[in-house]
Amino acid sequence: MDVALLVQYGPAILSGLLMTVQVCVLAGILAVSLALPVSLAVSSPLWLLRVAARTYIEIMRGTPVLIVLFLLYYGGPSIGVRLDALPAGVLGLGCYGAAFFAEIFRAGFQSIPKGQIEAARMVGMTNLQIMRQIKVPQMLALILPPGTNQFIILVKESALLSIITVAELTKTATQMANETFAVVEPYLVIALLYWLFIEIIAQTAAKIEERIRWQG
Amino acid sequence: MSARTAEPMPAGAQSGMTARPPEAKPALQPMIVAKGLRKSFGARQVLHDVDLTVLPSEVVCIIGPSGSGKSTVLRCLAFLERYDDGTVHIEGDLLGYHEVGSRRMPASDRRVDQVRASLGMVFQHFHLWPHMTALANVTTALRVVKRMPRTEAEAQGRAMLAKVGLADRADAYPAALSGGQKQRVAIARALAMQPKAMLFDEPTSALDPELVGEVLAVMKHLAAEGMTMVVVTHEMGFAAHVADRVVFMDAGRIIEQGPPSELFSNPKSERLQQFLATWRERSL
Repeated sequence: MDVALLVQYGPAILSGLLMTVQVCVLAGILAVSLALPVSLAVSSPLWLLRVAARTYIEIMRGTPVLIVLFLLYYGGPSIGVRLDALPAGVLGLGCYGAAFFAEIFRAGFQSIPKGQIEAARMVGMTNLQIMRQIKVPQMLALILPPGTNQFIILVKESALLSIITVAELTKTATQMANETFAVVEPYLVIALLYWLFIEIIAQTAAKIEERIRWQG
Repeated sequence: MSARTAEPMPAGAQSGMTARPPEAKPALQPMIVAKGLRKSFGARQVLHDVDLTVLPSEVVCIIGPSGSGKSTVLRCLAFLERYDDGTVHIEGDLLGYHEVGSRRMPASDRRVDQVRASLGMVFQHFHLWPHMTALANVTTALRVVKRMPRTEAEAQGRAMLAKVGLADRADAYPAALSGGQKQRVAIARALAMQPKAMLFDEPTSALDPELVGEVLAVMKHLAAEGMTMVVVTHEMGFAAHVADRVVFMDAGRIIEQGPPSELFSNPKSERLQQFLATWRERSL
């Protein structure tokens, strides 16, 4: 184990880590905010919305995320979509994750008993108020464990962004390996860093979960 | 053939009303009028031309065997169930539809909410919102529907909880409450919106026997205060002592109705005689 190598590449690894965190946060926000309307559209009374949302989910679920990234970054220009590596990566990862988050949300919405909605109707709440007061808060608690899982998967998938030249953790390690012919050091270090990042996410989620338990 | 007499309307239905103490308000406008209600689930017709009128301050209990359509009638009165034919008027306003000439169109959600704002409903399975405290269950609609400031809503919410005997449980989540307490919170939640009539859908059927009494006591108290109530129930004792009128349903039809004294002691239809006999046998 060459410690000097790690010291030399320390700043590069750190900036790679920051890039990974940035990519994951942005893609996560995109995925969740896209997933909410998609999950509502899936159970919409409007036929067109339902089919559109279903199609979106099926396509994204049925395609490897690497292919989505390739199509966006390398295939984009041929239809006039020219994106830098970072936005292309965030967009690809976010849109891909959205399909999975949407399915989690849908399951969450469905598990809220119909009677609770009727009770809300009977005290005069509008659909929007029912969404905000009754459905979303309960859904958030229900989807926290599967949602955390999905976000962790997203973090791991972010390693694929190295292939479309985003300078995140994996890209940094690959570059380091190419330049120094060392293999163990770079990959072992980033493996530890991924693990650390994911552990922080999991612990945070567990804390939140504990706080929103409703057993009085 | 028009001379054929229809099934005689139980005399009690009328006399029960006129026997009420003469009140200051003359010629009461009925609170709820249902006429010719029909409802089918798929090919199965569950309501056949149900007529029901509820006057202000009247307590009407609907009894009958399971599957007789009692709950469906109540849910149609609240428009939680869309009736296929007939009309429901709440204080003179048509509920759920609006009429354009002779055709009728579904009313907007907004209009439905407006018309049924004078109704409160209590469900068999409480349907409290589990992510809110008892107090929040009672105050949320005050804040978001009536746009009441939080402090005012909470003062009113606490008053409602006190009314159902749960002032000390305001901060408890539903999971920490007994069935009877949950149902009383649900009653407080409905009362907070100051409805003019309360609909109860088998409010004690999901409760352990020893918890039934506390809920019935709250309901009795409400009735004594003059609340208009329609109660679907299996509690014959409650119907006998609190109801102004008892309605007996079977197979989607109202078979017989009248003051409880008359209906229970002198049932006219064979179906009600059977129903009461079975009930007496079971409660021995």
